[in-house]
Amino acid sequence: MSRRTIITMSRRPRRSRRLALYKPCILIFVSFVSSWFVPSSALHAAEDARRIVDEAQKRTDAKSQRYEGLLQVFDAKGRISDKQWSFERIGSHGQSRSVLRFTAPAEVKGVALLVVNHPDRASDQWMWRPAIERDTRVALQDRSTRFFGTDFSFEDLEERDVNQYDYELLGDETIDNAPCWKIQSTPKETKSSQYTRSIVWVRKDTYAFARIENFIKDRAVRQLTYSRLENVQGIWTARQLEMLDLRRGSRTRLTLEKLQYNVPMNESDFTLEAIRRQ
Amino acid sequence: MSQRGFVEARGFLFPQDAPNDPVNLVADVLAREEVFVKPAPWIQFAAGLDARADTHGQTERVWRLDFADRGARRPAFSVRRLSATMHARHVTVDAGKQFIRWGKTDILTPTDHFAPRDFLNVVDSDLIAVTGVRGAVQARSETVEVVIVPRFTPSRVPLLDQRWTVVPPEATMLPLADGGAVLPEGTQTGVRWSHTGDAYELSLSYFDGFNHLPNIEAAPAPVAPGPIPSTCAACPSSPPAIVITRVYPSITSYGADTAVPTRWFTIKGEAAYFGSSSPATDEYVLYVVQLERQTGEWLLVAGYAGEIVTERRAVLTFAPDRGLARSIVARASYTIDPNRSAAIETAIHQDGGGAYIKAEYSQARGQHWRTTAAAVVIAGEADDFLGQYRRNSHLSLTLRYSF
Repeated sequence: MSRRTIITMSRRPRRSRRLALYKPCILIFVSFVSSWFVPSSALHAAEDARRIVDEAQKRTDAKSQRYEGLLQVFDAKGRISDKQWSFERIGSHGQSRSVLRFTAPAEVKGVALLVVNHPDRASDQWMWRPAIERDTRVALQDRSTRFFGTDFSFEDLEERDVNQYDYELLGDETIDNAPCWKIQSTPKETKSSQYTRSIVWVRKDTYAFARIENFIKDRAVRQLTYSRLENVQGIWTARQLEMLDLRRGSRTRLTLEKLQYNVPMNESDFTLEAIRRQ
Repeated sequence: MSQRGFVEARGFLFPQDAPNDPVNLVADVLAREEVFVKPAPWIQFAAGLDARADTHGQTERVWRLDFADRGARRPAFSVRRLSATMHARHVTVDAGKQFIRWGKTDILTPTDHFAPRDFLNVVDSDLIAVTGVRGAVQARSETVEVVIVPRFTPSRVPLLDQRWTVVPPEATMLPLADGGAVLPEGTQTGVRWSHTGDAYELSLSYFDGFNHLPNIEAAPAPVAPGPIPSTCAACPSSPPAIVITRVYPSITSYGADTAVPTRWFTIKGEAAYFGSSSPATDEYVLYVVQLERQTGEWLLVAGYAGEIVTERRAVLTFAPDRGLARSIVARASYTIDPNRSAAIETAIHQDGGGAYIKAEYSQARGQHWRTTAAAVVIAGEADDFLGQYRRNSHLSLTLRYSF
């Protein structure tokens, strides 16, 4: 799931935005038409689903974003391990770059992850480890592994393009008393993903994500729940996200503090050279 | 402003005596503090200080603040780093005492010329910073680095009277005297071009400077050397002393390194040719090919390190990089949970002459404490680089408080 997906929800409708300028992205979904649907209904459902996700994405549009995150990892026995990171992103939807840098605990302080998102393929990721003073590329096949002992995988930290997925509107459901659209996304063949499909619940009132469930084959493996929804600078944002690893029984809670959008930032702070600066 | 630091205490238990070192238990403590200050968006300062002590004479007993880090022993108090980083658009300049790393492989990094190490413990070495200027221009996928190091920093080699210096059997009856190091004067330079593509990363590098690993020159003392620290308890009363001197030859190196992610593994390769105008220095190619894969909680790295000697001239060297060549090397680490991990790494010479295996378990407690226990087994023949340390198998326990 994209970092943006994780941390941004939606904001005021901006229907006047020109479609040509719109760079679709975010966690997106929908599968091919099931054969028992009449073709026109199925097509309609797919278009509806896509339109919903498009709208959700439009409402999260921002030139940049910054926050400080508190990560609490709970293992199956409930023991907690705390981590903190600072996060900065420049650009929006598929053209963005982000730097995530651990600030606590002390032994991982300075470890940084650079994510360069692309609209047409998986992101590029590099990690800087100050203990060995080197950066290393996080290879595509390694993205399914857990990110620094949290329940987020490296892939969960990247943005995804809306065009990399097919969608299907599965119906309506209520999550935490909020009516939601239930949408299934399936990565297209060109998209490299550990997940076979995902189901996302989008709130009807704000177009904000309420929950995402990721599947490998037919087994749900990770579930991300959004809560503490707040309007921050016009963008509905979940201030708390909880990723549940359904296989391990562990979960990671990410709480967003000092969240800001459209903060002035420099492109040159989002390069391999830049993550070496500690 | 940000900071990070730790206090670390380590203990090493060597069950076997070494011919020149009967000490079986060695302990040391290191306190490190690093501070990073960014007074303006375009400039950042980094400063780091180390304070050390140990039980085995590996640290100087002198109250001074060391900057150069060129001594035979570790300084008790030293400047670990002191540098300024300036950047504007695509240009970054680092000036001062800093760490400069080249290369992509992990097992052995033949192109990593600006990264001397502390080899007082040969199988557990730390990086030493160099003092110089590094300029980098990054434009899209291309980066060009230029490094100028006006003052040479050598790797720290094992002390003569300690177990990581292995005295050949034919010399055990002779007292050895440390003749010190002949540190070269002159500027070292390097240029590296890197391409970071979608499907691969590639770098080409050129280095002109000095090998931070020395040639060893052994010569009889020209005159009676007076009282010299003997490495031999059973030596004749007036033996001829052998003076051991470390000489750091000039080298020119051409290197390349690459990383290619494939569907199943990341393939990493690195090679460098070492040429020298010195008549007592070998010319050779060092290369590494390694495969890397993360799967589940496992990180797996395996590869082969090789060497091709094109011109053999040297008699005696201290070269752990070449010593690890012609080996199959591997590392597997497993993250048990956010606080616990285990790892095993090994290097086995292809001819079976020497092998090294290290098993490690590490556990964090709370936000600050980490304990690491390790067992190292070294085996092999006396004439093998790894095998010569076969009496140095050991257990270690490390306790670190990070802040």
